Amino acid sequence: MTATVDTTVPAGATPPAPSADGPGRRARRRPLGDALLPYLLIAPAIIALLALLGWPAIQVILISFRKLDLGELVRGEIVWNGFDNYAEILGDPEFWVITLRTMLFTAACVVGTVGVGLLIALLMRQIGPVVRLVLQISLVLAWAMPILAATTVFQWIFDQNFGILNKTLVLIGFDSFQGFSWFSTGASTLTVIALLIIWQGVPFIAFTLYAGLLSVPGDLYEAAGIDGASGWQGFRAVTWPALAPMVGLATFQSILWDFKVFTQVWAIRQGGPDGESTTLSVLQYIKGISGSHFGVAAAVAVLMILVLTVLVGQYMRLLIRRQEGAL
Amino acid sequence: MRTKNRAQRTLLTGVALLLAGLFFFPTYWMINSSLRPSNANLTTEYDLFPTSITFDNFVTAVTRPGFTNFLTNSLIVAVGAMLCAVAAGILAAIPLCRLRFRGRRGFVLLVLIAQLAPLEALLIPMYLLMRDVGLLNMLPALLLVNVATTLPFTIWTLRGFVNGIPVDLEEAAMVDGCSRWGAFRRVTLPLLGPALVSTSVFSFITAWNEFLFALVLMRDQSNQTLPVWLSTFSTVFGTDWGGTMAASVVFALPVLIYFLIVQRNLVAGNTAGAVKG
Repeated sequence: MTATVDTTVPAGATPPAPSADGPGRRARRRPLGDALLPYLLIAPAIIALLALLGWPAIQVILISFRKLDLGELVRGEIVWNGFDNYAEILGDPEFWVITLRTMLFTAACVVGTVGVGLLIALLMRQIGPVVRLVLQISLVLAWAMPILAATTVFQWIFDQNFGILNKTLVLIGFDSFQGFSWFSTGASTLTVIALLIIWQGVPFIAFTLYAGLLSVPGDLYEAAGIDGASGWQGFRAVTWPALAPMVGLATFQSILWDFKVFTQVWAIRQGGPDGESTTLSVLQYIKGISGSHFGVAAAVAVLMILVLTVLVGQYMRLLIRRQEGAL
Repeated sequence: MRTKNRAQRTLLTGVALLLAGLFFFPTYWMINSSLRPSNANLTTEYDLFPTSITFDNFVTAVTRPGFTNFLTNSLIVAVGAMLCAVAAGILAAIPLCRLRFRGRRGFVLLVLIAQLAPLEALLIPMYLLMRDVGLLNMLPALLLVNVATTLPFTIWTLRGFVNGIPVDLEEAAMVDGCSRWGAFRRVTLPLLGPALVSTSVFSFITAWNEFLFALVLMRDQSNQTLPVWLSTFSTVFGTDWGGTMAASVVFALPVLIYFLIVQRNLVAGNTAGAVKG
């Protein structure tokens, strides 16, 4: 999802002129057809977007103000209950624990992904072409692995009795890991999930930042070198200013992805043991799909969007405005 | 910045190789475990390398009841979503770049916001919507959801590509007597080939990976997709890790092979289309 630099394309040589000054005899235009053409072309996309994203987006807010459990759903009743759903959730101490947990988990994933990604991007500039290719191919493989395949592999690696990790730890002298269960507490379960997410997320970030590094003109470094800058000073003066916006973008994207992550958390332990690895998106699923409390689940979803907006809203505004400028 | 110091260079090479090993290991371990006799995975012995290779696990995995059914479902949903998203995407991208019309900016903004929106938060209304229109538990529901998740991306990416093709080429063709549509079809469309291929593949992979909506909308066992089936491996395979890994390889292999083929473009910084859950 790189931001492509768009130049405003001038309309073709014969712009569809709605105010055609008198139809010439040679160019027999159909002003109406010409005016309708763009709308016909975007119709499938706009219908799909409005029906499948716009409508649910409005609905999620409306449903969050309704009492909608299985009974109401079956009877087709619409029962408005104001802020009851929100009161119920916000009054539940468990919700605050889960929110805090989700934020910490997101922070760990984002710092890990962006940090390691940045280090690898910088490292790629310093190594020979052969080693770089080896590193890049292994990164591509990690990136390409479908999430569910990666999840099963991680469960196998971290398996209590026969997992290669425990075996390795015992081999190098940590005997306490013999039969150690990585999924017995929420904290260690989330640690495994975070490692999985970081492992899958780093390649994209690393390649993006590496591409950004390659676009820093080499003569800038030469100039810095002539001025007697050390490696670190060169980084501070030349590399970092060029990279900072991209690191910002990478951080923003990682927050967006990691905050709402469901697949890995659910597939590893369904938010267990005892709900200790439940995050907000898992809570939404448990309330809505397992518990049929659709109104409450919708309120959880709205709160999720609100938290996310608080986290990255400013940045999102900036991004949209910048893209708008390029329209 | 050339590191002149040899020792430093060796150290960095060492670090790079270590990282390469860490990132490669899970893929290696998946393939290695899938090729071992099943009981070899359940020993306390330490062996990082395969001693004997067998394809029994793959036979176990693909002959599980339902496997071909789930594979078919996954293919229908992913291919269908890909075709719809790319078709609607290119149709929308053309006027966005080549025509002026009222509401154009608003539409672009809608696409941009849709790309940033957390779709997982629409789970409940999406579930109720599909229930209301009678699509719950039917593959078209999943297909539509996957179109919704990939469409903003395909429109945005294809728009970037069309913008990158100079309009002068079309104008020249029109001077030579092509109609407006003829010029587009003869000049721009052929140039869009690679763009269509890459957006198609990314839509396919996104749909191939999709888990949450498949889990929620396909309550019926027979309509499940491969990811949902894989997530229940502990009930399907018990402690048969070889079988689980073989099933994962079958699921992952098409995507892994594709990425290896195009890895040059990925590394070149053409990272349009991150596939992430």
